[in-house]
Amino acid sequence: MNQRIIGALLAKDLTLFFRKKVILVLTVLGLVFYLVIYFVMPDTVGETLKIGIHGADLPPVIGETTVEGLEITLVASEEELKSSVAEGTYIAGIAFPADLMERLVSGEKPDIHLYFTPDAPQEIKSAMETLVNEFAYLITGETLNVEISQEVLGQDLLGTPVPPRDRMRPLLAVMIIFMEMLGLANLISEEVERRTAQALLVTPATVIDLFTAKSIAGIGLAFIQALLVMVIVGGMNINPLLILIALFLGAVLVTGLSFLVSAFAKDFLSVLAWSVPFLVVMFIPALGVLLPGAITGWVKIIPSYYLVDTIHRVANYGSGWGDVWGSLLILLGYAAVIITAGILVLRRKLQ
Amino acid sequence: MADYAIAAEDLTYNYGDLTAVDHINFQVAEGEILGFLGPNGAGKTTTVKMLTGQMKPKGGRAVLLGMDVAKNIERVQGHIGVCFETTNLYEQMSAIENLNFFAKLFDTRPFDANEFLRRVGLEDRGKDKVETYSKGMKQRLMVARSLINQPKILFLDEPTAGLDPTSSEAIREVILKEKARGATVFLTTHDMVEADKLSDRVAFMNQGKIVALDTPLNLKRQYGRRALKVKVSTESGALEDREIDLDTPETAASVQELFSREQVVTIHSEEATLEDIFITITGRGLTE
Repeated sequence: MNQRIIGALLAKDLTLFFRKKVILVLTVLGLVFYLVIYFVMPDTVGETLKIGIHGADLPPVIGETTVEGLEITLVASEEELKSSVAEGTYIAGIAFPADLMERLVSGEKPDIHLYFTPDAPQEIKSAMETLVNEFAYLITGETLNVEISQEVLGQDLLGTPVPPRDRMRPLLAVMIIFMEMLGLANLISEEVERRTAQALLVTPATVIDLFTAKSIAGIGLAFIQALLVMVIVGGMNINPLLILIALFLGAVLVTGLSFLVSAFAKDFLSVLAWSVPFLVVMFIPALGVLLPGAITGWVKIIPSYYLVDTIHRVANYGSGWGDVWGSLLILLGYAAVIITAGILVLRRKLQ
Repeated sequence: MADYAIAAEDLTYNYGDLTAVDHINFQVAEGEILGFLGPNGAGKTTTVKMLTGQMKPKGGRAVLLGMDVAKNIERVQGHIGVCFETTNLYEQMSAIENLNFFAKLFDTRPFDANEFLRRVGLEDRGKDKVETYSKGMKQRLMVARSLINQPKILFLDEPTAGLDPTSSEAIREVILKEKARGATVFLTTHDMVEADKLSDRVAFMNQGKIVALDTPLNLKRQYGRRALKVKVSTESGALEDREIDLDTPETAASVQELFSREQVVTIHSEEATLEDIFITITGRGLTE
């Protein structure tokens, strides 16, 4: 690796990047994106909510209860129930006490514990209380007075009200970072298609120099722009180091995606065609923050979820290392895998 | 081996079952211009790619300036200049920006882009974006770019293809000046006249093999037929053609007889072209 060569390549890349008249195109693309998101969102509520229930000697009728939109599973122990809710297997858990029947018979109020995932919306919490009363009625045949306590397993993201504007922060960061994919992928695909890469590779510049310069350009542009926006919207006020790391890993991730897209694209239009599906998918987790409860567990397979999750928790709830290290680790894993795949695929094309 | 600027030793490349370059051997001396001729698909481009380090040989080796190219790519590439057939310039940058950028890659210091532009007649357009250039101007800029590091070996792939006579002549002048400077020139071309004019030797490549390699003159002597083309005036005043073969024992007598018996109007010698020779050797044309 040669620093002088990488510096020259980087300066050239940035010169070309800022000479592209893509701003207008990006604006149009933004409009298209919002329309696409609108139409891909489900227009009906068809999701089944998974509920776990634990209780000693519960009558079988509870497990056989069928309520539209609910899937009820009996769980062997309260500890198992709590860990399943914490992992997101169930959106809510209901734990009946072991002495439920004795207390009911003796006229005492039994304590019933409800457990929720951090992002369970208020509607679910209210619905669970109603459901508990329904179960008590099923067991005893009459309406009973029970003591219900609620516990959110993990950080309660709904307990603290967050202004809608602040909920935009993760979306802004994701948009800024991932839109960079268009510019960088276009820059690289032009380098390949116009065969300027071929001219570079008969000079002392190596393929490694080329990738290093492109990576620095891509990561730098995405990171700096996202950082600026986060500073402006107050996203760096709490635990800025965590936000910096998340933005950096997001920038690495998008650079890898740019390499992948540029290996298949031939011009700006095909860059658009290849990028838009990635962009739509990557934006979905951020929409989940804007519309709490609209998107559930499956969103965790999307790499950008962990960028969004970190920014949302840190910037909007003041979370620390202990809360987000897992998300950062998964984001790092995704970024490493995608940039490695991007380099391998693009390298084949260059050679 | 070090006496040669370029040496191909049993150089081989195959794409699957297709052998593009088939165990070729040749050497090019320092300061020599080698014309590399052959029809499309003969293996010329693959050979050049192996010589310039763009592709690793599947067999044999390419040696430039005494160094095995596959093992010393970066060192070798610091001493070569390559001008591609297809334009591959940064079109949104000016000519000066293009040249300055490549000068940085080669670490050429001090570097005056205008001096290189002057050599190819582009000094007045240096600040214009390359996208505004004509094809000939772009090709001249490509040649200028290939000279940035004062290469010891210059690879030129169809440098004058499709250009106007002015641009072609400008490029030919540059090639001859580079030879005069001491550079070795590896010239791939379809233009037989150009190859004949510029090359010290020419190599014919066909179906992955070098089928002939010699000076143009020797090739013409070996494979060509020389003749005198004569126009004579008859008694009625009409013009008629006569032809006398130059390479027979009777040539002198035939010429003497021609001048004593007929009224010669014009006379000139005609020799075989490289195209004719290529057809003689391979049974196919260079442009097929």
